[in-house]
Amino acid sequence: MTEYLIRRAVQSVLVLFLVSVISFALMHAAPGGPLMVMLPKGGSQQAILAQEKNAGLLDPMPIQYLHWLGQLLHGNLGYTYKNHVPVGQILWPTVGNTLILMGVAWVLSLLIAIPWGIYNSTRTYGISDNISTVLAYLGFAMPAFWFGILLQEFLSLDLNWFPLSDMYSMNKQGNIGDLIWHLILPVCVLVLVFLASYLKYSRASMLEVLHMDYVRTARAKGAPEKHVIYRHALRNALIPIITVLGLDLPNLVSGAALTENVFNWPGMGRLFVEMAFAREYAVLMAITMLGAVFVVIGNLLADILYAIVDPRVQLGKKGGTAA
Amino acid sequence: MAEPILEIRNLKTGFVTESGIVKALDGVSITIEKGQVVCLVGESGSGKSVTSLNVMRLSDYDGGIVLEGEILFHGEDLVKKSQEDMRKIRGSKIAMIFQEPMNALNPVFTVGDQIAETLRLHKGMSKEEAQRKAVEMLRKVGIPEPEIRAKQYPHEMSGGMCQRVVIAMALVCRPELVIADEPTTALDVTVQAQILDLLRELQSELHTSILLITHDMGVAAEMADRIAVMYAGTIVEEGTVEEIFSQPHHPYTIGLLNSIPGFEGQRGTELYTIKGSIPSLANLPTGCRFHPRCPFATDKCRAEEPSLLEIGSGRRAACWYAEEVALKAKEQGAVIVSGKGE
Repeated sequence: MTEYLIRRAVQSVLVLFLVSVISFALMHAAPGGPLMVMLPKGGSQQAILAQEKNAGLLDPMPIQYLHWLGQLLHGNLGYTYKNHVPVGQILWPTVGNTLILMGVAWVLSLLIAIPWGIYNSTRTYGISDNISTVLAYLGFAMPAFWFGILLQEFLSLDLNWFPLSDMYSMNKQGNIGDLIWHLILPVCVLVLVFLASYLKYSRASMLEVLHMDYVRTARAKGAPEKHVIYRHALRNALIPIITVLGLDLPNLVSGAALTENVFNWPGMGRLFVEMAFAREYAVLMAITMLGAVFVVIGNLLADILYAIVDPRVQLGKKGGTAA
Repeated sequence: MAEPILEIRNLKTGFVTESGIVKALDGVSITIEKGQVVCLVGESGSGKSVTSLNVMRLSDYDGGIVLEGEILFHGEDLVKKSQEDMRKIRGSKIAMIFQEPMNALNPVFTVGDQIAETLRLHKGMSKEEAQRKAVEMLRKVGIPEPEIRAKQYPHEMSGGMCQRVVIAMALVCRPELVIADEPTTALDVTVQAQILDLLRELQSELHTSILLITHDMGVAAEMADRIAVMYAGTIVEEGTVEEIFSQPHHPYTIGLLNSIPGFEGQRGTELYTIKGSIPSLANLPTGCRFHPRCPFATDKCRAEEPSLLEIGSGRRAACWYAEEVALKAKEQGAVIVSGKGE
C-alpha cells in the first residue's frame, strides 16, 4: 500500500509537470497580452513593449516558464500584472467560496440521487422513476445558466423570495443564515446538473446488480428485501458510481464558471473568466494547476475507495482484477 | 409410505411481460418424501429451473406468477404465503444450491460472512457464534483450513470450492428440503463427482430431502431415488431410478437415455440426438406436445393430448402408447440399462 502510494505520488508529479508545460505554452501562444488589455486604448506600441520587457514578457518562453516554475517551487504563485497583487491573495478566498457552493450542491445531489436511484431501480417505470427521467433530461438538456436566469426572473425578481445574486447581502459578510439564503438558487441550478447524471448512474448500476445471481442467493437465504438491496446489492452497485464521483471531484473547484457568473458568486470559476480576459497568466496558471491537482487527487481517491469497497481490487499488486 | 414433505399439484405458472402472460409451467406435479432424492430431468427450456424458483417463490422477483395449482410444503400451500412468510422458510426450511457457484456468491463479502449471515437471519446467533458455526460447516463440506478460508473472498477460491461454500450455506440451518439447480453443471468432471459425493454424504447424514435438477442422466442415475422427466413445461414420465432406466415408458425418456454417450460407441459414429427442438409454451403443437419429435407418433397423438396416467404403483407416464413404447424399447435394446453415468 505504502509502496503503491509512493509510486502514485511520483506519477502525479510527472502528470502535474506536463500539465503545467502544456498549459503554460498554450496560454502564452494565445494572441494578445496582459499589457495590451491593461494600457489605455491608443497607447503607443513602444510603451507596451517597454512595459512588457519590464514584466519579463519578452524573454524566451522556456525562460519565462522556468522562472514561473522556480517561483512556484518556492511557494510563490506570482503577481498580477495589474497592480502587482500576489496571486494567492486573490485566489484563495475564491477557492473557499467555490468549495462552499459546489460542495453543498455536490453533497446534496448525492444525498438525493443515490437513495432515489436505488428506489427507482426497484420500481422501474413507476411514477417516481418517470419523474426522475424527466428531471435528468432537463438537467442534461437545459443550459445551466439559462435555468439560473429563469430562477432569478421568477423566484427573485417576480416573487422576491430569494436574493438575485452575490454571496452575502450588504453589511452581512460572514452571516451564515444570509449565506444559506444566497446559496439556495445557485445550488438548485447545480444540483439539477449533478442529479441528471447521478440519478441515471445510480439507477443503472443498481439495476445491473439486482439481476446478478448473488442477489437471488441472498433472497434464497431468506434475507429481508431491505437487507438484499442495501447490503448485498448496494455494496456492488457503488463500485462504478465511485469512478464517476472520482472523475467529478475536480469539478468542485472548476466546474461552476457559468453559474458563478450568472449569480455573481465570488468564486474561482468567475475569477478564471475575468482573468482570462485580462490575460493574467499567473492567476490562470494557478487555477489550472489547482484543477490538475484535484484531478490527480480525485483519481487517487477513487482508486483507494475501489480497493476498500471491492476486495477483488488490490492496489499495487498485479493480477488484481478490477470489476 | 413415508409422509410427503413437498407436494406440487398441477402447477401452472407464467411470467408477466409487456405483451401479456407468457406461460412457463403447464401442469407440473411432483411429490418428494422425507429423505428422498428426486431428480427433475429434461433439456434446457423444459421448465426445470422455473419449477424450483417457484417452490422458493423467487420467481416473484422476475415477474413470475402462479396461475393454477398448489405447492404443499408439510401440507401448507406456499403459493398462498406472503413474501414475508416465505422469507422465514427460505434458507431455514427450504434451501437452494445454484448452478454457477462463482456467480452465486457475493464478491464483496467473505465466504464466512455469507454463511454466517444465514445463521444470523434464522437462528438469531451472535456474530462470533455464527462465524464459529460457519467455520465448522466449511470443515464439514471438506474445505481444508476452514479458519483461513472463511476469511477469504469468493474470487480467491476455485469453482469447486465455491460450490462447497454454496452447499455449506444452504445446509447450515439444516433445512428439510434442499433444491439443487444443476449444482455441477459449471464444474469440471472430477469436481462434479466430488460435489455429488459430498451432497449424498450430507444428505444421508442430515436426512434432508433433495430436489435435484439436472439435464444429465448420468447425474440423475447416480443421485436419484425417483426421477421425473420434464418436457415443455410438464412432467411426461415419473418413476424410480431403476424403472426409468430399465423400462422407460415415454418416447422422450427413451430419447434422453439414448443421448447418453457410451464407451461402446465407435469413434466417428454420430451421437444420438432427438430430432427437432423443444417448443415454446406460447405455440405448443396440438395433441401431445412431444409428437413432432416422436418416432412413434400417430394421428391420435397429433389430435389429443395424453394426460399423466398411473401405469404402476408410483409410476406415471403421459403417452397414449406407453406400454407399446416400453415393449419396443426393450426389443430394440436401445436403452442403456446400467445407470452409471461418468
